[in-house]
Amino acid sequence: MHEASLVRTLLHKVSDLLTEHQGDCVETITVELGPLSGVEPLLVQSAFEQLAPQSPVAGAQLVINEVALGAKCRQCHVDFEVQRFKFLCPTCGSNDVQVVRGDEFRLLSITIKQSLTDQARV
Amino acid sequence: MSTQTIPVGQDILSPAKQAAQELRAEFTRRGIFIVNIVSSPGAGKTSLLEATARHWVNQNKMSVLVGDLATDRDAQRLSPLAPTVQLTTGGACHLEMPLIKKGLGELGEIETNFLFIENIGNLVCPASHDLGEHLRVVVLSTTEGDDKPGKYPKMFRTSQVLVITKSDLLPYVPFSVEAAVADARLIQPNLQAVTVCARSGEGIPEWCRLLDNAREQMLATRDA
Repeated sequence: MHEASLVRTLLHKVSDLLTEHQGDCVETITVELGPLSGVEPLLVQSAFEQLAPQSPVAGAQLVINEVALGAKCRQCHVDFEVQRFKFLCPTCGSNDVQVVRGDEFRLLSITIKQSLTDQARV
Repeated sequence: MSTQTIPVGQDILSPAKQAAQELRAEFTRRGIFIVNIVSSPGAGKTSLLEATARHWVNQNKMSVLVGDLATDRDAQRLSPLAPTVQLTTGGACHLEMPLIKKGLGELGEIETNFLFIENIGNLVCPASHDLGEHLRVVVLSTTEGDDKPGKYPKMFRTSQVLVITKSDLLPYVPFSVEAAVADARLIQPNLQAVTVCARSGEGIPEWCRLLDNAREQMLATRDA
């Protein structure tokens, strides 16, 4: 149930980016999460709907990209999708594998609206 | 009005992970080994720490930060045995770096070999939060069932040691140590496992040896 605290962190980060890029408002926030990210997409969405209206990010749409759990075998270097949390390389059978995707809650990008063009600002 | 897409590509928790990394580096320098202990409520984290402190009695080896939603009951149990600070989260389901920093401030200048962080009883949220630990230890009691590792994959995947507690109850509960360890190792093949009974002290010397070895390894890597 820590989605609310993670969404709060996300909103802070996005607000900082909005200020940094001198935008007026945020149109879209795109995030990525996977089976080992420790967060539940539905809870993230509902926490966002609760928290965003009171933040500088009000009005933005949250787009959640769910990715599969991906790993790379350290023995034969093949990249594969981890099924049912069994961390075994399907090619060589090794369990010496590194998770490369789906274990984080990542902010991929934001789309912002700017009333002034860069030239106008200069 | 124009729109602009700004690529970010950053883990939401990266500032917290950075803070954890800095804490780990500082404690490595000071020779203090940080152990983050996680489990479901009632698995026996506090009892394990009490037994650890009794095993290392008069050796000045350990300090504890203990997290709870409410009450200082765990700190009351541990304080007579080791320097302890209670972290009360007021309802939050896991510990985060700011609370750890606050607790360290209250603990003051410590000269111990081990700093234990007893996390909130919860097999879900604490898995996502690096607290600067050198070792994450997941505690599973025999009364919880040997099918739990597969149900909480992130917690077992991010831990390096599995401590199975309440071994004295094995004759009375349908729990197979082998099955639990095998299930956990499907998720984390390198997981070290040790079975203990905090009440009788069975397995505690092995657990303490494992900790000493892990700290020695940290020091050797640091000084290499």
